[in-house]
Amino acid sequence: MFAYIIRRLVYGIVTLFALSLVVFMLIQFSGGTPLDRLKLNPRMQPVIAQLTEQWGLDKPWYEQYFIWLKNFVTPIDIPAEEGLTVYFGKLGVRSWVAIAAFVVAVGYAIATFFVKIEANWWRTYRAFSILVVGAIAFWIIKSRVVFALNWGESFRGDGAVWDNIFGAAGNTFRLGLTALAIALIIGIPLGVYQAIRQYSFFDQLGTMVSFITFSTPIFIIGVLLQLILAYQLERWTGVKVFYVAGMTSSGYAELGRGIFGLPSLAQLGDVIQHLTLPAVSIAAISMAGYSRFQRASMLEVMHSDYLRTAKAKGLPRRNIIVKHALRNAMIPIVTLVSLDIATMIGGAIITESIFGWPGVGRLYIGAINAVDYPTIMAVVLAIGAGVVVMNIIADILYGVLDPRVRYD
Amino acid sequence: MAEHLLDVEDLRTYFSTEEGVVKAVDGVSFKVKAGERRGVVGESGCGKSVTAMSIMRLIEPPAGEIVTGTIQFDGRDLLKLSEAEMQDVRGGEIAMIFQDPMTALNPVYTIGDQLIETILLHQDVSKSEARNIAITALDDVQIPYAKNRMEDYPHQFSGGMRQRVMIAMGLSCEPKLLIADEPTTALDVTTQAQIMSLMLDLAEERNTAVLLITHDLGVVAGFCDTIQVMYAGTIVERGTGDEIFYNPQHPYTWGLLGSMTRLDESQQDRLNSVRGAPPSLIAPPRGCRFGPRCDFATDICREALPILHQSQEGQKVACHRASELDLKSLTVGVSS
Repeated sequence: MFAYIIRRLVYGIVTLFALSLVVFMLIQFSGGTPLDRLKLNPRMQPVIAQLTEQWGLDKPWYEQYFIWLKNFVTPIDIPAEEGLTVYFGKLGVRSWVAIAAFVVAVGYAIATFFVKIEANWWRTYRAFSILVVGAIAFWIIKSRVVFALNWGESFRGDGAVWDNIFGAAGNTFRLGLTALAIALIIGIPLGVYQAIRQYSFFDQLGTMVSFITFSTPIFIIGVLLQLILAYQLERWTGVKVFYVAGMTSSGYAELGRGIFGLPSLAQLGDVIQHLTLPAVSIAAISMAGYSRFQRASMLEVMHSDYLRTAKAKGLPRRNIIVKHALRNAMIPIVTLVSLDIATMIGGAIITESIFGWPGVGRLYIGAINAVDYPTIMAVVLAIGAGVVVMNIIADILYGVLDPRVRYD
Repeated sequence: MAEHLLDVEDLRTYFSTEEGVVKAVDGVSFKVKAGERRGVVGESGCGKSVTAMSIMRLIEPPAGEIVTGTIQFDGRDLLKLSEAEMQDVRGGEIAMIFQDPMTALNPVYTIGDQLIETILLHQDVSKSEARNIAITALDDVQIPYAKNRMEDYPHQFSGGMRQRVMIAMGLSCEPKLLIADEPTTALDVTTQAQIMSLMLDLAEERNTAVLLITHDLGVVAGFCDTIQVMYAGTIVERGTGDEIFYNPQHPYTWGLLGSMTRLDESQQDRLNSVRGAPPSLIAPPRGCRFGPRCDFATDICREALPILHQSQEGQKVACHRASELDLKSLTVGVSS
């Protein structure tokens, strides 16, 4: 298993390398330069010359690529002492919890390679601990204090790409994970229920609604939600329930802090008011997909021989569905959800634009319009890395859910 | 206490399809004594599996439905039980083994899990006791190192081994009746023989009644006390093994026997078969359902449906001409 993960990671790095080359060439050959917007102003001539020199835009593209590549993988030097002060100076309760969880998770992950326990719960735990390690590692990278790579300056003059990406990534994950949670919590049980009551009124209704939401473009769903649940609702009730744009209200900081530096209830409420509409827009579509997929996979399992065996054993229907059917029917969903999480890293370009959400998607579309290739490259590679990592996680989960799958 | 363990009376199970109502089981009556081993033989689609599924009440509406009939089991009518009461019967008093052992076990749970689950469901024992019962059950079906194999998953077992596990699962709760629906069809011939002799031993030892459903006459020959032959949703002949094999009264049974491959008749050019194909169960032919395929059919066969009656030879047969025909002296294939 360990060797398998390492092997997959190595393949992943090769893939990312190829991806970076292709994308870099695409940007170079698609016409336009980052300085085009300055050219309209004759007085900018010296600035253009200076930036061309500074960013190396006059060099051949392959030289530019290697300069970019070299920088991309070079860590920024943080002097040890300064790093430590910054590190410990910035640690709040959340960081400590994260570090504690990280240590525990790493400990278990290491222990699992030496201890051989075949019990089911242990396999589940092992996979879970690996997931936790990944999540915590991300947290630590995100906090940038211990580690940062020299991803360069944005060509749009808005600071370091590394900072921009990880700043936006937090927002994107807030939106993406909420949407994913809504989609899973509603979509999966919906699909299961539809399969159990196949061809019932509810099944037909669910199918119809799924098809409608799945085939409606997100910009229509998003705008409709804004119109109905924000604008009209406020007009009818006189109360502002949902906001159409932004992540928090302008007076967010004055809403008071909660204990341990966590947000207060009022702040949490404000966040939810902003988060609901964009999250529901995204969730509506992926929920439709999940429920259809889950329904199909559940139906297949419902007609399987081992379910008939379970029935013939005298198991209650509930037990048959929850224990015997669901576990099998969840296996194919894992791939779907894993890849959704991976693409989530790239942000939801359209939704973020409609709802004024400062996430990776907006950063990305802005960077593309400005031919800001350090940012474009960073976003593309982040998505690529996400796909690679989530594929490995999906494979690990496969092994946990399906004992027939083994990687050794 | 009823004299018979299982008493099926005028069972009719219909399936509604787009083409019409399929009368898969159409008026089947039979009785099985405690400890009796009964073979149910017939072609594919003759209703033998549906009969078994009906007894277990595994026919799922709205696709299929038991229209009429009673199924008395151990003094109770199974068709009148609530779903919860029926769950106690399934696996506890009537166990069932299915055709394809490769797919009959849940791939994501260990053999032990699946055995213990059944035992805990039907017996009032602790988890560790259930585990011991499960190990004993695996031992009984001759799985080597039963204790170690409890933690193995179905894919780590061969087909024959999986069928043994299914038998262990079926018998672990000491049912009074074991329904085996083509238990050896998916297995190779040597494994078939082992599984059948294992089932014979275990059933005899525990005095478990067995309803063995198969299309393979060779399988029932050594195993069953009594045999019933089904055709197009009805029973056409019923009797002891000797009666059926050595003195078939129904032309269909006679045809089936004639179509068996036999080692002692090596000079045959080609295998005999019953000509034609089974009739549509949506609109079965008028009169005798076997009539259109029968070499001996006369006018009465095309008019009236024969009922199962006592023949002079001892077994019961549903044929108008049973008493006039002397099938024993005819060689199959003569008329074809």
